[in-house]
Amino acid sequence: MQGALALRGTVLARELLMQGRMTSDLFTDYQVEDFFDEVFAAPGEIRAHYRPLAERLRALRPEELQRRARLRDTILRNLGITFAVYGEAQGIERTWPLDLIPRIIPADEWRHVERGLVQRVRALNCFLEDLYLGERAALRDGVIPAWLVQSSAGFCREAYGIPVPRGAHCVVAGIDVVRDARGTYRVLEDNLRTPSGVSYVLENRATLTRVLPHVFAQHRVRPVNHYGASLLSALRNLAPANASDPPRIVVLTPGIYNSAYFEHAFLARQMGIELVEGRDLVVDDHVVFMRTTRGLSRVDVIYRRVDDEFLDPAVFRSDSILGVPGLLAAVRAGNVSLANAIGNGVADDKAVYAYVPALIRFYLGEEPILPNVETYLLWEPAQRAAVLSRLHELVVKPVDASGGYGIVIGPKATEEELAAVRKSIEAKPRNYIAQEVVALSRHPTFVDDLQRGGGRIEGRHIDLRPFVLTGEKIEVIPGGLTRVALRKGSLVVNSSQGGGSKDTWVLAADEDGGSG
Amino acid sequence: MRFAIDYTSEFKYPEAVWDSQNLLRACPTTDARQTLLHYELKTVPAARVHSYMDYWGTRVDAFGARPPHDRLLIHARSSVETRPTGPMAAAPAWKRLSEPAFVQAHLEYLAPSRHTAWNEALRAEAERRAAPAGADIVGVVLSLHRMMGSSLAYVPGSTTVGVDVNDVLRGRKGVCQDFAHLLIAMCRSLGIPARYVSGYLFSESAQSEGEPEVECVKVKTHAWTEVAIPGAGWWGLDPTNRQEIGPRHVKIGHGRDYDDVLPLRGVYLGGGDHKLDVCVSIRRATAAQQQ
Repeated sequence: MQGALALRGTVLARELLMQGRMTSDLFTDYQVEDFFDEVFAAPGEIRAHYRPLAERLRALRPEELQRRARLRDTILRNLGITFAVYGEAQGIERTWPLDLIPRIIPADEWRHVERGLVQRVRALNCFLEDLYLGERAALRDGVIPAWLVQSSAGFCREAYGIPVPRGAHCVVAGIDVVRDARGTYRVLEDNLRTPSGVSYVLENRATLTRVLPHVFAQHRVRPVNHYGASLLSALRNLAPANASDPPRIVVLTPGIYNSAYFEHAFLARQMGIELVEGRDLVVDDHVVFMRTTRGLSRVDVIYRRVDDEFLDPAVFRSDSILGVPGLLAAVRAGNVSLANAIGNGVADDKAVYAYVPALIRFYLGEEPILPNVETYLLWEPAQRAAVLSRLHELVVKPVDASGGYGIVIGPKATEEELAAVRKSIEAKPRNYIAQEVVALSRHPTFVDDLQRGGGRIEGRHIDLRPFVLTGEKIEVIPGGLTRVALRKGSLVVNSSQGGGSKDTWVLAADEDGGSG
Repeated sequence: MRFAIDYTSEFKYPEAVWDSQNLLRACPTTDARQTLLHYELKTVPAARVHSYMDYWGTRVDAFGARPPHDRLLIHARSSVETRPTGPMAAAPAWKRLSEPAFVQAHLEYLAPSRHTAWNEALRAEAERRAAPAGADIVGVVLSLHRMMGSSLAYVPGSTTVGVDVNDVLRGRKGVCQDFAHLLIAMCRSLGIPARYVSGYLFSESAQSEGEPEVECVKVKTHAWTEVAIPGAGWWGLDPTNRQEIGPRHVKIGHGRDYDDVLPLRGVYLGGGDHKLDVCVSIRRATAAQQQ
């Protein structure tokens, strides 16, 4: 009896669909709840820029969705897109989780975000130039406390005086942006050392355009596949005066055991340049050469994905075999350039983060376009006391970690975790910051396996990592990597912590003739 | 006084080494106390040297040796003129140590560093030694300085680089680096900025008072301490020799501790364990000889 009713319901829905009158089946049970929802302005009310997408998705039968999900997985597997999770015993490589529903950002919204990111990276480049090559005006004028900079693990005294062509310290920046309960875009953190994830942006796009070609074609989506060309052009911009023409540029990877090795290889292929490890390079009289089958070949620019402290055993950790002995002196002598520059860690220190709005005002004389998240500095006794009294309501982050490691989210933490973090804060208040929990915006996401007959859609929290390139000009690749916290209610979006992803569509502006 | 200084480091390897990369800090600085007149560096095998000033203001010579070699000779020659400094006449009050501008200017030299991280016992010892001098900063520093000479034994080879400064205090013996680190740790533990100095000392041995009889001595590099006195600037003290620094002290550079003014740091491939011979020969020169 029940089975018959259900069957009839399906038939009815299909008929309604064919008549174009069906309102919803995918989204009928969708709960907007008390969050900013990217798709729904209110329960049942879809935002204008998502309407064409919603209509298209509704038109797809469950079997059809399943077929598309299978296609997606096949494509991703064939592309070899995996990522590694450190600290997991069983097979660390996993297939990349890409949701079928893309995130859409309208042109005007994106213009605002883009302006804010360009402004921020300009200021961060100025700050690093001031610190390592300038007169440290921001410290002298008290814009940021000198002790805070000097006690930052990322402040690299060895970088002092090393020339950085055109002041491009952050050639590649990944600035994490979230939307709060009101939908306001805020910067959550800056990643200025060796930010990763852009390969997923490109592969997500390549995959989704094949999985949902008609849906994609119906929108005027700004492309992302020029990233390789843009990065290469930004790297060329760093070429020393005495470089060969065209300059020889290489990608330096720590090797296959690095969690982002896939991306290093991917980017080298995209740019059509060599992927090398430290042992492939050698320094002779402060000039870097690559070993090739035809002898040594001079290298002019290195896009390095090796952390500072492993880069040159003659200067940093002498036990590092990932780096190139003598590399820093070669950079100092102006014979080779590095992207990103050395010492950027001080500017993405999470305690320094709190001062970025002030640095924007100081260096650029402008008001910050994108606000920070409310942040508390734990070495200030009053702020620390206030934080410790409501630890269970706040997020605590170590200042020098990335990838979501070491973060304690008060409302989700156990008593033991809270007690441990309290102890850590009291012992080393400089090493942590606390932030208000941001009720990250949510986005409808497939939450169970479509291939096993699922296909339920629920709201999941998301963030966005746009990639900002400093070349001749500062360029933001439209969109970026939208990460999804796949566990219900979770706020942790890092792929290293089991997050998923969405293709991110930035729509072309109306005046360009887009559909909007 | 005018000195001609010959710094020589010779590495000998049992088997050939290659791709050696080195950073040398052997060049005397120029400041209110001394003037560098001449400096030149030669290496065997010959190398192109790239020189720069580091974060602390010390000259660094970077050079490599790529072809296989079983010996690396580094020979840095300098000549320098030193001037006597007057006695420490200032007597600033203790509270001046906490003036924001003073603290701000000396932040790097107030915090613990790898070789100067003090424990509670060390701080308590510093406090106990400082007590008789009351609120007189110069008096406190002098009493800590004298304590080094009177209760620590200078024992060459008794410690290795990287020994914990608290262990030096407990063991009551060490070499010049240890003396310098201990005085720094004690000063900083009381809120007095102090820094590590690497340099050359014209004397018969690392620990000897008075001027040598001879015109030329063969020594190792030396280390001492500078303490910031509000209103008076940096004040050099040589705790190993229980003296204030004078014209026989030739400064190379300073930093938070030994790591920041490492005389020679290098890496190479192959070769096995090397044998290193460091020799500094300092000759008193007259102006005429210098020409």
